[in-house]
Amino acid sequence: MADLQNSLAISASGMRAQATRLRHVAENIANADTPGYKRKLVPFEAAAAFGEGEGQVRTGAVRLDKTEASRIYDPSHPMADGQGYYTGSNVNSILEIADSREAQRSYEANLKMFDQARKMSASLLELLKR
Amino acid sequence: MYENLSLFKTASALARHSAMRQALIAENIANADTPGYAAKDLPEFKSTMPVAGLGIQMVTTAPGHMTGVAGQASVQAATQLNAGDESPNGNTVSVETEMVKSSEVRQQHQLALAVYRGGMDLLRTALGRR
Repeated sequence: MADLQNSLAISASGMRAQATRLRHVAENIANADTPGYKRKLVPFEAAAAFGEGEGQVRTGAVRLDKTEASRIYDPSHPMADGQGYYTGSNVNSILEIADSREAQRSYEANLKMFDQARKMSASLLELLKR
Repeated sequence: MYENLSLFKTASALARHSAMRQALIAENIANADTPGYAAKDLPEFKSTMPVAGLGIQMVTTAPGHMTGVAGQASVQAATQLNAGDESPNGNTVSVETEMVKSSEVRQQHQLALAVYRGGMDLLRTALGRR
């Protein structure tokens, strides 16, 4: 029973981490056209190394993507320089979409494991009935 | 009568083994996107049982183990070496393999509970409380 409870906690930590990742993907996409915006990255770490739950996963400190921001040509833009360019964001929408799909799939896998552990402990409790 | 009791022990050991394995599968899936994480698994339940012998007895593989409790014998979760191909970030979890294992675990758990319930019914019949 304790193993199944542990399993539930681990799956929940996985879902939480994937949800955090999805939240930052949403933030990146929302700011895709914000001048000077840097894409945010969420690293995943094993939580056990930090004295938290055994086997759980957690998200670390958010980092900024260091790739060069795109230069957009638009002389009418208020932030345009002498050549008519201004600095956009370094968000690549295709990359973000792919990332969100991956997060969704991983979330579903975690949810499936959560459901299975729940069913297993339910059938274990069924033994007590009667 | 004692044969039946060892049947209960084996069934509960199998249930415990599958619960522990489920916890490890949940951990693997939660860490499916953690860089450098190596997938873990338990040895097969079969290998925690003796090869031959009249009475079924659990194997004690470490001094701290209590006789007849198989779940303890398989606490050492080995990291899988050939579990799917390693991704560029050093992660060795294959979500597909974990899914297959989890359905295996579910079957094992159901089997163990069915055997347990069958034994209980048998004892109840013997006591005339059917």
